[in-house]
Amino acid sequence: MENRHAPPGVNSRSETAAQSAADLEVLREIEHVYFSPPAQFDAARYALEHAPTPPDCDAIHRMFTKLKRQQQVVSGKALHLISQQRDNCDREFAEIQNIREQLAQTLQTCREAREQLKTASNHLTISTFVILANVRKRQIIKSVLKSLELLRSLRSVEKDVADLLSKKEYFEAIDLILKSKKAAANNKEYTCIADLSTRLQDTLDMTEEKLDSVLASICHNFDEDVFKKLKKAYDLLGKTQAAMEQLHMHYSSAVNESAIEAVKPFLNEYTIELKFQEMCQSVPTNKAPMCLLNLCENLFRVMRSYYLLVNWHLKNEEIQPSSSVFDIEKNVSREYIKQKLKAGLIRIWHDVQAKVSIFLKSSGLEEFQFEKFIQMLGILRKLTQVAEIFCGDTSDLLQDFIKTQSVSYIKNYHRGRMEELKLFLENEGWEQCPVKATFNVLNLQEFKQFRKYLNPKSDIVKGPQSEATSSVPSQDDSVYISKYFTEKTSKTPFEIFRNANVTNDDIFGLEPESEGSDESDDEPDELRRDFVEDTDVQDFSNDIQSSPSKIKESVIVTNTTLSVLRNCGQYLQICRYLPQISLEVIMLMNQLFDYYFYAVHIFFTSDLDVASSTLYSTKLNLVLKRISNSINGGDDTKFECPSNPEHLDMISEANLHGLSERIVGVESVIFLAKQFELLQPYLESIVASHQQMILEHFRDNTLMVVEDLRMPVYMCSASKAVDARSALIAMSQVRWDVKNVAVEHSPYVDMIIRKIQVFALRLENVATRVTLNMRVVQSVWGMVSKFVVHLLVEGFSNATKCSNGGRGLMQLDYRQLFVKLEKISGLKPVPYQDYVDKYVKAYYLPRNELEIFVRDRTEYSNKHLLALVSCACENKRDRQALTAIIECRDAGS
Amino acid sequence: MSESYEYLFKFLVIGSAGAGKSSLLNNFIGNKFKEDRCHTIGVEFGSKIVNIGGKSTKLQIWDTAGQERFRSVTRSYYRGAAGALLVYDVTSRDSFNALVNWLRDARTLASPNIVILLVGNKKDLEESREVTFTEASQFAQDNELMFLETSAKTGENVEEAFLKCSKTILAKIETGELDPERIGSGIQYGTATSKRLTAPKKPPRTPSDCACHV
Repeated sequence: MENRHAPPGVNSRSETAAQSAADLEVLREIEHVYFSPPAQFDAARYALEHAPTPPDCDAIHRMFTKLKRQQQVVSGKALHLISQQRDNCDREFAEIQNIREQLAQTLQTCREAREQLKTASNHLTISTFVILANVRKRQIIKSVLKSLELLRSLRSVEKDVADLLSKKEYFEAIDLILKSKKAAANNKEYTCIADLSTRLQDTLDMTEEKLDSVLASICHNFDEDVFKKLKKAYDLLGKTQAAMEQLHMHYSSAVNESAIEAVKPFLNEYTIELKFQEMCQSVPTNKAPMCLLNLCENLFRVMRSYYLLVNWHLKNEEIQPSSSVFDIEKNVSREYIKQKLKAGLIRIWHDVQAKVSIFLKSSGLEEFQFEKFIQMLGILRKLTQVAEIFCGDTSDLLQDFIKTQSVSYIKNYHRGRMEELKLFLENEGWEQCPVKATFNVLNLQEFKQFRKYLNPKSDIVKGPQSEATSSVPSQDDSVYISKYFTEKTSKTPFEIFRNANVTNDDIFGLEPESEGSDESDDEPDELRRDFVEDTDVQDFSNDIQSSPSKIKESVIVTNTTLSVLRNCGQYLQICRYLPQISLEVIMLMNQLFDYYFYAVHIFFTSDLDVASSTLYSTKLNLVLKRISNSINGGDDTKFECPSNPEHLDMISEANLHGLSERIVGVESVIFLAKQFELLQPYLESIVASHQQMILEHFRDNTLMVVEDLRMPVYMCSASKAVDARSALIAMSQVRWDVKNVAVEHSPYVDMIIRKIQVFALRLENVATRVTLNMRVVQSVWGMVSKFVVHLLVEGFSNATKCSNGGRGLMQLDYRQLFVKLEKISGLKPVPYQDYVDKYVKAYYLPRNELEIFVRDRTEYSNKHLLALVSCACENKRDRQALTAIIECRDAGS
Repeated sequence: MSESYEYLFKFLVIGSAGAGKSSLLNNFIGNKFKEDRCHTIGVEFGSKIVNIGGKSTKLQIWDTAGQERFRSVTRSYYRGAAGALLVYDVTSRDSFNALVNWLRDARTLASPNIVILLVGNKKDLEESREVTFTEASQFAQDNELMFLETSAKTGENVEEAFLKCSKTILAKIETGELDPERIGSGIQYGTATSKRLTAPKKPPRTPSDCACHV
């Protein structure tokens, strides 16, 4: 830059060196100030300031020339310098140009790059935003959709719930409703949902009702799956405990409903207002057993359902020990339910019992046929067994009821049998029924089942104690019943009763009574034929008296006897099924005997025409009095006395005043008594031990006494053997005050003997109709003898005067009589001889012994004794004293 | 028992052994038919109240044993029977042949007025029939009997037999041909009628006119 400040050079190409030197000089002379930049320096001004001081033309000219010269030089110099620098300038210029071009190029590239970058950047950002925007949109739509969906589902919730319920998905249904409710609550902002929420509550209520009805159906048929589902649903609802309460109510009403349903089909007309009891009352009696069966079956189904329910709880609801409060609470609830269930068993059983009892009370049980009654007992027995399994209850209520009903049935049944017996007795021909001599009660089909306990051949009477007296079902029974308490069966233990071929033993679960192995010869079917005598009745025993050895030990039974025995068989059957009322039944059975016994007595002693004080033993009198009290009377435990048969010939002398009928009558009673005695060990085995003495009493005071009946009955015929009036007249014609003892007996003896012979002949005739055994024959003859001795005493006592010789004659007479009688009757010795013997011989007694005699011998009447005294005492004072004693005796007695 | 009836008829069922008399009776009073029943011993008894022409009538039926050896026992039941079913077995010629004797017994022992219905039982066993319907009808006609063929097994005609017989008795009572008041008629007024003949008539016990004191 120095250079520039230097005075501007001159172009040297056109000047010479001289000039150049001069020019340089000129340049040097140029004041520096001119080189100042135009802005700071004003050359014109400067030149004017520095103009020569007297301004003359020369000085100005000179100065002009000098300045001119300087300007020239500077211009030249500048020119010179410019040309000198021109190439550089051009070069530089080109350079600049070049750079300019490059710059333009770069700019272009930059521009392009930026353009591209811009495009690129545009592309990237916008797509992202779209995505984001879309996502956002989608979310919004989704939430809308969800709401819509919710709305839709809420709207269809009722239908869905119904679907689920029909699919038995209770839990899911409840779950759905609860969730819907929650959703509805969460979406209250929608107006449509606000309405829905109330509807949901309704749906929930309805669903609960539906659940409840399903719960109710559980009562009739417990289904584990269904119950599980229900339980889950109730758990979800938090109403498990309430549901259990509800379920118990349902069971109660199920018992009611089942009972009504069971009875309904048997009614002719049914109206809803009918009470159960009224329904039961209008069940026709002939349909009652079937109805009872239905009732028990229906009730059993409820019981089974409950039983399964309880079992399910026991299995599935074990209380888990836990410490958490929540669990404890749950456990408490479980425990409560468990207790409730347990108590429910008893309660339901009580309900069931009550229903059955009502039915039984109103069903006219008394009218049942025997078989139906037994069947009904069987049903009830089964029911008690069911109860045993069900709740371990021994069902005292029902047992008692069964007992009282049975007693009343049996009494009614007995009444029928008694009426029948009366009819049988009134129509009885008192003909001997042809049975084998070995016949006994066990031959009867009705006693088939009792043979093993009663077989007289076996020494030990095996009491059926174990089976008959125990009302508790055996182990087998309970196993058997338990089978019906499982879920997968629709069968009931009562089905057995629908089978027409079922036997009573099947019903009662009693072992079929097998024939004792010791007597394999008897086919059951043959039983009844077996004991019937095959030979013709007429074949045997024509002449009994002549050869007593030929007398058969035969059995005398009548048709009525057999019918009584058969009835006894039935009664004992009842005992087998009703061991608890054995004693009552046996007492009734005994009454059959009593009645038969009594009837025979009434029938065959109605014509007894001798006073009877010694004919009747004390026990016989007592038993007849007892029976008479128990039979006759107005109240309904009493029975009409049979009317005396009019069809029997009891007056014809030829048949000894119906002696054969009398014999058949009395002997059949005795046979009957023997059969009762035969049954005695069995009877004792089926009653409680403290009751046995009642049976013993009956045996000792009734059964053992029946043989005493022979005397009064046979006396009826025997007393007619000899006509007392004519015999007494004949005796009165004898003179007893003879001095000497006669050698010949009196004529009346022969007369009596003739009568007795006639009697014997007629007795033989009787023997062709009836097999007379030794005891009968003895008894008949005994009565003849008894009658004769009394006749003799009577006759002897008519003698007002009697000598020693007369007394002797008396002895002779009666000895003769008894020798004959002994021969005719075959009795050795002839009984009752003492009576006359003692009387006659008392005549010989000394005073003091005679006194004892008249005081103690009550078998003689006062008349007899007075006659004796008047004959025997010659001393008047003695006679009076003894007479006084005799008369006193009368007053004293 | 609360049974009331206007008349009581005594009935007999007679005929040879095995003819099915007990089965007929059992069928009639409502028991089950038993295939092999044992012979009746002596007499068995059944009763039933039936309604005949609006009158409830109790039938007191005596089912007698058919076997010969029981004749002496059964005989005593004939007395005073109002009606009888005379039963034979259509599959047994013998039982038909025996009818004459049974009929004679019934007419002599029971009552000449006894109403008898001939019953040909076991009509279900057609294949082994030995007695034709015509033949038996003829017999019935000759002897003035009514006639029915029955089957105790199927129950066919069983009730009819008893009812027909009862109806005839009732008709005879109404025409006066039978008099219920007559002793031994086999007919009694029942509980539903005012009269009762069943009142016990105890013959007065005649005190001993015999002087002896036994």
